[in-house]
Amino acid sequence: MDFFERHKPIAIFISLTLFCIISLSVQGSGFTLTFEGIMSGITMPFQKGYNGIQGGTSRLWAGFSELDRVKDELELTRSKLQTFESIDVEISEIKKENDRLRTLLGMKEMLRYDSVPASIISKDPDNWYRTLIINRGDNDGIKVNMPVVAYQAVNNGDVRELVKSVVGKIVEVRGSVSRIQPLIAPEIKIGVKIGENRFPGLLSGYTYNSNLCVVNYITRAAPVKFGDLVITSGQAGVFPQGLVLGTVVKSELLESSPYQRAIVKPFIDYNLLEEVFIIKKAPEKDLFELFEELK
Amino acid sequence: MIVTYIITAIIVLISLLVQSHPSFDVIRIAGVKPDLIFIIVVYVGYSFGSMNGQITGFVSGLFHDSVSNSPYGFLALPKLTVGFMVGMIGRSVLKSNVPTIILLIFVSTLLKGIITLFLSYIFTQGMLSSIIHVIIPEAFYNALLAPPLFFIFDKVFRGELEREGYL
Repeated sequence: MDFFERHKPIAIFISLTLFCIISLSVQGSGFTLTFEGIMSGITMPFQKGYNGIQGGTSRLWAGFSELDRVKDELELTRSKLQTFESIDVEISEIKKENDRLRTLLGMKEMLRYDSVPASIISKDPDNWYRTLIINRGDNDGIKVNMPVVAYQAVNNGDVRELVKSVVGKIVEVRGSVSRIQPLIAPEIKIGVKIGENRFPGLLSGYTYNSNLCVVNYITRAAPVKFGDLVITSGQAGVFPQGLVLGTVVKSELLESSPYQRAIVKPFIDYNLLEEVFIIKKAPEKDLFELFEELK
Repeated sequence: MIVTYIITAIIVLISLLVQSHPSFDVIRIAGVKPDLIFIIVVYVGYSFGSMNGQITGFVSGLFHDSVSNSPYGFLALPKLTVGFMVGMIGRSVLKSNVPTIILLIFVSTLLKGIITLFLSYIFTQGMLSSIIHVIIPEAFYNALLAPPLFFIFDKVFRGELEREGYL
C-alpha cells in the first residue's frame, strides 16, 4: 500500500491506460457482462495488441520476401477482375431490359423517396474524424444507413446551377440528433460508376484532412479523364442509383495494382455546408449485408 | 486545487464547444484545425504536474471521444499519456518563454499524433500518410497558437501558480 502511495501518479497512469485499452477493445465486439465477456474484455486488448504487432511485422516482412506470391495473386486478381467485368456488362444488360419492360408495363421509372431537411449543428472536433452532427434523429424517423444529400451551387460554364449531390450516410442515430459520415471520410465505402461508360469503382475519403475522395478498383482499361462525372451505382443497397457525387480531377495508374484509381472532388463544399436532406430509404437488406461481408 | 479543477473543466468545455462548432472549420489550415483541448492538457501538465496533467488529459479526452465519432479511449489515451509525460518535466525543468512553449507544444503534438496513429492501426483504420496530412500540420498549428493561449492561461490560473511558487 505504501508503494502505491509513493508512486500514485504512475499507478493512476497505468490504471487509466488499461481502462482506455479495454474500452477500445470491447467496443463493437458484442461485449456482455458475463464471466466470458469480462474475461474476453481483459484478454482482448492483449490479443488485439499482439495481432496488431504481428500483422504489422508480417506486412513489413511481406514487402521484402513475398514478391513472388504477390505476383501470383496479381494474376489471379486480374482473371477475377475479367470475370467481374463480364458480370457488370451482364447486369447493365439486365437493367436495360428491365427498363424496357417497365416502360412496356407503364410503371414508374424510379422509386421516389421522402426526404427530411436538417441543419448541421456540430462537426467532429478532431482532425482524425470528419463526421457531421445534424438536428434530426430517431424522433424524426431517421435510421442508420439512410443516405444524405444536399444542394450545392456549381459553375457550369457561364451558368451557375444547383446540383443535388450526396453528402454521406447516417452512421449513428439518437433521440433528436444523428451523425453523418461524409464522402470525404476514409472509413466510408460507396459503390460508384465513372464517366460516360459507367465503369464501376469503390469510393472513399482520400485522407483525413482533405476534401477529396478517391475511387479505387477501376479497371485499367477504363478511359478516366478530368471532369468525368461520378455517380452512385446503387449496388451496395444504401444509396439510390444515379445520385451525383463529384467529378474526377486526376486519374492514377499504379505500378503495383491491377487497377487504376481516380481522385474525385465532391460537389459538396464540406467547410461551408449548413443544410442537408436525409432520404428516407432503408438499405436493401440482402445487398447491404452482402456488401458488408465483402468489406 | 478545487478552483484549478473547476476552471480547467470550464475551459475544456468551452474549447470543446468552439472546436466542434461548424464555423470552426473555416480556420482550417492545410486541412487541419488546432486542438485547443490538447493545448490545455499540456498547459495543466506543464504547470501543475503529472497527476493533474493525466487526469485532465483522460477526462477531456473522454469528452472529446463522446463528441467525436471515435471509440471511447481513442482520443483519451494519447492526451492522458502526453499530460502525464509533460507533467514529469513541468515548469521546474522547462522555463516559461515563447521558444520553449512552441517547442513543447510541437513535440507534444507529434507524440500525441504518433500514439493516435498507433491506436488507429490496431483498433480502427490506420493510414501512414496521416503523418504528413494530419500530425505535422496540426503540430505547427498548435505550436503557433500555444504562446498566446499559455499567456491567457497564466492570467486565468494566476492565483494557483502563485501558490505553487511559479510566479
